[in-house]
Amino acid sequence: MEKSVILSAIAVAALIVFIVVVQSNKGNHIAAEISADSNSNELTKYTVNYLDVFDTSTDITGFTNTQDEFNDEAAVIKEQLTYYNNLYDIYNDYDGMNNIKTINDNAGVAPVEVDSEIIELIKFGQDMYDLTDGKVNIAMGSVLRIWHEYREYGINNPEKASLPDLAELQAAAEHTDINNVIVDEKASTVYLADKDMSLDVGSIAKGYAVQQVLEYCKAQGMNNILFSVGGNIAGLGTRGDGTNFKIAIQNPDLESSEPYIEKLSITDGQCVVSSGDYQRFYQVDGKRYCHIINPDTLYPSETFAGVSILTDDSAKADALSTALFNMTLEEGQDFINSQDGVEAMWVYHDGTVVYSEHFEDSVIE
Amino acid sequence: MKKNDVYLIICILVVCGGIALITNLVTRAKTTDAAVAVVTIDGSEYGRFPLDVDTEETIRFEDGSYNTLTIHDGICDISEASCPDQICVNHMPIQYNGQNIVCLPNKLVVTIENGEEDDIDGMTH
Repeated sequence: MEKSVILSAIAVAALIVFIVVVQSNKGNHIAAEISADSNSNELTKYTVNYLDVFDTSTDITGFTNTQDEFNDEAAVIKEQLTYYNNLYDIYNDYDGMNNIKTINDNAGVAPVEVDSEIIELIKFGQDMYDLTDGKVNIAMGSVLRIWHEYREYGINNPEKASLPDLAELQAAAEHTDINNVIVDEKASTVYLADKDMSLDVGSIAKGYAVQQVLEYCKAQGMNNILFSVGGNIAGLGTRGDGTNFKIAIQNPDLESSEPYIEKLSITDGQCVVSSGDYQRFYQVDGKRYCHIINPDTLYPSETFAGVSILTDDSAKADALSTALFNMTLEEGQDFINSQDGVEAMWVYHDGTVVYSEHFEDSVIE
Repeated sequence: MKKNDVYLIICILVVCGGIALITNLVTRAKTTDAAVAVVTIDGSEYGRFPLDVDTEETIRFEDGSYNTLTIHDGICDISEASCPDQICVNHMPIQYNGQNIVCLPNKLVVTIENGEEDDIDGMTH
């Protein structure tokens, strides 16, 4: 009787000790796994956000061994992005630097000597004008400036928001001839031959800068980095575990309970750029007018809520997302079919989504 | 003797139980470092708000503008703001590590730290 009580009590105690040992072993096991992971170069994910480049929100995601390593890489990326931001700025002057604003200020006055990165950007803008039959025009500053003023005023004074007169826009559109942008590569100068014209590189500059910075990072030996500059996303390498970066395209319908319209898996060097009417816009009499102005109508394009481009060059993706936003679906589909390695997704205001032939190959799930 | 045996057994049981409880608590504390929403204004930290505490905090600026941060059921959102574009208010609620909500006009950023990992590395804005 007594013995059996003692025996069973000892058995219970032994069981508890066994559980404790197993549990503490489990703890050790976790600890061992962590150290094994760091030994086998398992990389940690870090992110940082900047608000001071390209008038938008920039997120850098990197997979590195340490926070310090990531901070160093992010600092280099930010420095590079800031450089391009200043060069391509049309609103601000910077000490000791001729930028796009300097070129605009000297329209009809004199050629301006500029950094080769400006020459390259403008040449790229001219190429995109030719490629898209003028649907992307960096010489449309005179028209975009009017819309910019009305939009800024309308955002800050919603009850007084109004639309510019068509006559005013048409008068400005007389000064948007891209052939009047004179680039002299030898002298490294740019001259606007029409004193009333101006450059606005908003449709290509972010994408172009992201592509340049990405290539710079690659040359520096960096890897496993994802850039997100406003709507422009580009990946260098893969995630830390070697799998593709997974990115999400925001649902243009901000009221929707589904925050993402699509999730994509992007391979090394692939880029996604979205253009839409849901971030920069203002309202007049309850109607939304976005920041993307169709060169043909001189009014904001209204066909789509958003267009996304998937390709291997961020600059091209940026330009083409604007171009497709300004085309009909049929025009856009014909255009995409004529391009190698470029895929697109169109989103209508009612949520209807149309894909180009191979876009869905990159969709997750 | 008999009584002492019983005491001994009880002691062993209590000690074992205690050890089991402590190791349990320690491992639990290690694995669940609470997720927080970190608010920064123009790059400098304004405050940290744990996601496991329901809160509503209105951040006011000198010029009268404001953003209202709401944490409910472990999810963080900007429920109201004075900014003209309302992009931060329309932004989806966040809960995963590294996700953020940005209010450009007020230079305010809310970022999740120590949260669970999302399956997404980045999103278009």
